[in-house]
Parts: sequence; C-alpha cells; structure tokens
Amino acid sequence: MTTGAAPVPPTVEAGSLPGVTRSARPTAWLGGLGVGVVVLLAFMPSIVSQADTSILLNFFILLTMSSMWNLLAGYAGMVSIGQQAFVGLGAYTVLVLADGGFNPVAAIPIAALVCAALSVPISLLVFRLRGGYFAIATWVVADAASLVISSIGSLGGGTGKPVPGLSSLSPKSFEQVTYWAALAVVVVAVGMTYALLRSRLGLVLAAVRDNEVGARSAGARVVTARRIVFLVAALGCGAAGALLAVSQLNVQPASVFNVQWSAEMIFVTMIGGIGTIEGPILGSVVFFLLQQNLAHEGAWYLIIFGALAVVIAIWAPRGLWGTATAKLRVQLFPVGYYVGRTRRRDRPGSAPPAPPAPPVASTV
Amino acid sequence: MAPLLELVHVKKRFGQVTIAEDVSFAVEQGAAVGIVGPNGAGKTTLFGVVSGDVRPDAGDVVFDGRVVNRLDPAARCRLGIGRTYQVPRPFDKMTVFENVLVAAQQGARARGGVSHAHALRALESTRLSDDANRLAGSLGLLQRKRLELARAIATQPRLLLLDEVAGGLTDLEVRELVDVVRAANAQGIAVIWIEHVVRALLATVDRLLCLAGGEVIGDGLPRDVLASPRVRDVYLGTDATAAESVA
Repeated sequence: MTTGAAPVPPTVEAGSLPGVTRSARPTAWLGGLGVGVVVLLAFMPSIVSQADTSILLNFFILLTMSSMWNLLAGYAGMVSIGQQAFVGLGAYTVLVLADGGFNPVAAIPIAALVCAALSVPISLLVFRLRGGYFAIATWVVADAASLVISSIGSLGGGTGKPVPGLSSLSPKSFEQVTYWAALAVVVVAVGMTYALLRSRLGLVLAAVRDNEVGARSAGARVVTARRIVFLVAALGCGAAGALLAVSQLNVQPASVFNVQWSAEMIFVTMIGGIGTIEGPILGSVVFFLLQQNLAHEGAWYLIIFGALAVVIAIWAPRGLWGTATAKLRVQLFPVGYYVGRTRRRDRPGSAPPAPPAPPVASTV
Repeated sequence: MAPLLELVHVKKRFGQVTIAEDVSFAVEQGAAVGIVGPNGAGKTTLFGVVSGDVRPDAGDVVFDGRVVNRLDPAARCRLGIGRTYQVPRPFDKMTVFENVLVAAQQGARARGGVSHAHALRALESTRLSDDANRLAGSLGLLQRKRLELARAIATQPRLLLLDEVAGGLTDLEVRELVDVVRAANAQGIAVIWIEHVVRALLATVDRLLCLAGGEVIGDGLPRDVLASPRVRDVYLGTDATAAESVA
C-alpha cells in the first residue's frame, strides 16, 4: 500500500461490540410452555381412554419420523424416499435383541444407534447421487434391506415374527410404558432437531440451503454437514421403527419397510411447513385429526389426503405453519441470531449512521 | 520471505478455449495486487484455480509453502484464502449477521463469543453494522457487495481475492469500498483484486498484472503496466480512456 493519499478508516477496536442473542424477543416463556406441554402429555394415559393413548403414541411415532425427514429435505436438501429402511432396521434390531432376552423397551436406544451406524455405509453408497437419483437410490436401499431381511428364516422370513419379552406386563402398564417410551423418543427427536439447528451445524445447513457455492467459499464443509444430518435422521427413524416393534409386539417386513412411511413423512412435512421445526408438529396434528375423522370413509380418506397435499403444494408451498407465520415471523423454536444495539462512537470522516432498520427475526 | 501465494505453470482449457496457458506468478505476504485484462481473459477462472472452484489441467497452486491443488474450496478457505464472487452469493433467508457468522465459524473456525466478535468486526469494517438484523435478501447492490466482502473478511483470511467488487457502483460507493479494502490490506491481509474500474485499483494496489489470451502480458508497477504498448494494445478495445488517463 504505497499509492494514494485517501484516509484509511479507523480500525475497529475490541470492547465496543454489541451483544448477540438468539432472538429479538424474550423466549424464556417458550421453554416453560414446552415443559408444560411435555408434562401434560406425560399424564395423558391417566386422563384419556386407552384408544386415545394409542392414537397419541402413533402420533409421536409419526412426528419423530417427519421431524427427521424435515431435517433431511427441509434443511439439508436431501429428499429421501427410503427412510423406511431405518424404520425397518430399527424394528428388526428390537426383535433380534428381544429374541436374545433383552428388554424390548431398553432396546429402543440401541436400535437407534445401530441404525445410525448402518447409515454410514449406506451414505457412502447413496451420497454419490444427487436430487432425484438420490431419492430413488434411498428407496432401492430400503427395498434391498427388506428383501435381505425377508430371506432370513430366523427373523420370521416374509411373514415376520412377534416380539417377546413384554407379555408379563398387564395391558394397562404395557400401554403406559410404550406410551412413555414414545413420548421420550419424540421429545428427544424434536429437542435434538432444535439443538442441531441452533448449533454451528444448523447455520451451515441454512447457508448451504441458500447458496451452496457461497457456503463452500465461506469455509463450510458441505458434505460433512450432510453426513451428520443423514446420520441423525437414521437415528431418529430407527428409534421410530423400534417403537413400532415395541408397541405392535410384532414385526413384519412388508409393514415396517413399507414406502408408506416415507409418504407419510413427506405428507406431514409438506402440509405443516417444510424447513421449519414447527411444521412437522402441526402437520402431524392435521394428519391425525383428518385420519380420525375420515377413517370410516374408506378409500376416500386417502383421496382427500392426496387432494389436500396437491392444494397445499400449489397454493401454500411453505405449508400451513410457513404460510401462517410468513408475515408474523413467529418462531416457537428460535434458531437465529439477533444483534443488539450499542452506543455508537463518532467516527470522523464517516457518514452519519443510517436510521436503524426495523428488527427482523431470522428465518434460519 | 517466501511468497504467500504462488502459481506455477498453471494451464486451463475449456474445450478449445484456452483460459490459462502456462500462467506463473507469486504474491508476497501482505501485498496488494490488481489484475486487469479484457473480458474472457481468464481472470475469474484464475481466481477459481486459487480458491479451489476450478481444477487446473496442469500446474501447481502453492499457498504459504504448501501445494493446495487437491484441497476443496472450504479447506482452502480455512487455510486463509478468502474470496468474493463477481455476482454476490448472499444467504438470502439469513440475516446479514448470520451470513457473516457462518464465515467466522467455518472459515476462521471460531466458536461462541469469538465468532460473534469476528462477525461483528467484519460488519463494522464494511459499514454494515446497522443492517446486522436485516435479511440478506432485502439488501441493495452496494450492500450485497459489502456483505460479500464482509463474509470473506470474517473468515480471517491471509489472502483476499476480490472479483469486481466495485462493478456497478457509483464513484462515491467505489471510494468507500476502496477504503474498506485498503483497511483490510493495512491489517496485513494480502489482496488480489480483479477490477474493470481501474481508478479503484490504482488507489489500492502497488502492483498490476495484465492477463490476456491466457497469458500474463504485463506485471509490475501499475503505471508501467498500463503504459506498456502490449497492454495498451489489448486495452484500446475495452477501456481505452482508463488506460489513456494514466499513461
């Protein structure tokens, strides 16, 4: 720097930087609300009927799965239609462990970890492909897993097998134990999603979503981020599959490896709002409300689901939550950053500061 | 002192088009180098070769004594090569602060409060502090260019590659941008700046490279390079007045 005589602007000193928070508004009450909802749900088996408890349990399973699919597709840009691979593998891990004398409920976290471990070699295979090819590849992997397991006689072959180990429980305590297990899994799944999106990885995912080349040039390890998300999604879907095995006390390849699981995950996420933590929650509620009210209509209920998906995909592509909060910028799970104001030192030679822009909550 | 960046016999062709034909040059620590040349001379491609976006057909890229040919853009960024793109690539749905924070956390591998400080300082040095909470997608051109620069600065680079950051800006805006680049350079960051706005370059760099037809046809003091017959010959077609005004 030898040419020119333009004044060099004063260098920035430390110690005068504004504070950084995670939301423009106080959020402590949201945490309280979350705890309240979970506590209320924990008491539900004593409040509502056995049939309703069972519906809630299936709601938790679907919410766990769709939160994982949302993480994959909505945040990491990986549209998988083969997540049932991990649902099935989770269920069969519980079956194998229970056959070996292990408590099926205690086997749920192990099944989740087994699925996470299996996702590593599977990712080596499917990560070679992108977009639609990736989607098809995941489905192929799920069908291959189903076919391999169906051919193993000791696992019950194509007809499946009952899960032993819980017959000593009374119907009431079986129902409670499986319900609480499902509640625990869904709380961990949503909590993990939230923690992940608030972390540095979450910021990377948001950057990759907005501009992959820009993210790479800012130092983001895009493939590593995708691998972690794929692993977490396998973990969650594995736990959901394990819950299916425990709550139905029976594992059948055609059922646990059914592509219908992925279809439901996609439906719920699209309806609720892809790329938001709240979306799958709202989507799962809508799904179950519709299912309960339309179940007696037979095939019509599937037709109505399909029509609803089409309507939302065309006229409200951000889903119910995304559309409803587009203007309000409400976030139940704040994952962005907010820079507070500081006293501004006068800087000689620089223009007076522009009027402050209105605070805008992030939509990361 | 060993050079910070060295290109050794770099070759790059896209089909029949030669972008770089045996390009070699070195840039010292803390230097400020400008690159000019007609459109299609391979300037941006050369940046791609340095930043890792473009794989050369032959030759080596040496950064800080280390051959980085096989490293991807993220790894090179983490080593200290920050770059901006001619067309800014903001993260539209994130706030300005979050845009820069990613760079501080990933490129500079900073965590927590340190990453916040890196990001806030990058915003302050590019005069974006007042826009910290705005969505990047709502920024105008000048601010997008500044954000692109802020993000590169937040990676705490030792080498900053600027690709036409002054293009499309008014004189006043260009002057402000020059101040920002000079300040970064004054802090010891080496700068290589591709720019058609020659005024901006001359206020900043003490060495000028001219690229044409995949070759370095001029290298030296800006005044000498712009006065050389070969460079003037190339430039008469594109930006004659700029060359004229300094010759």
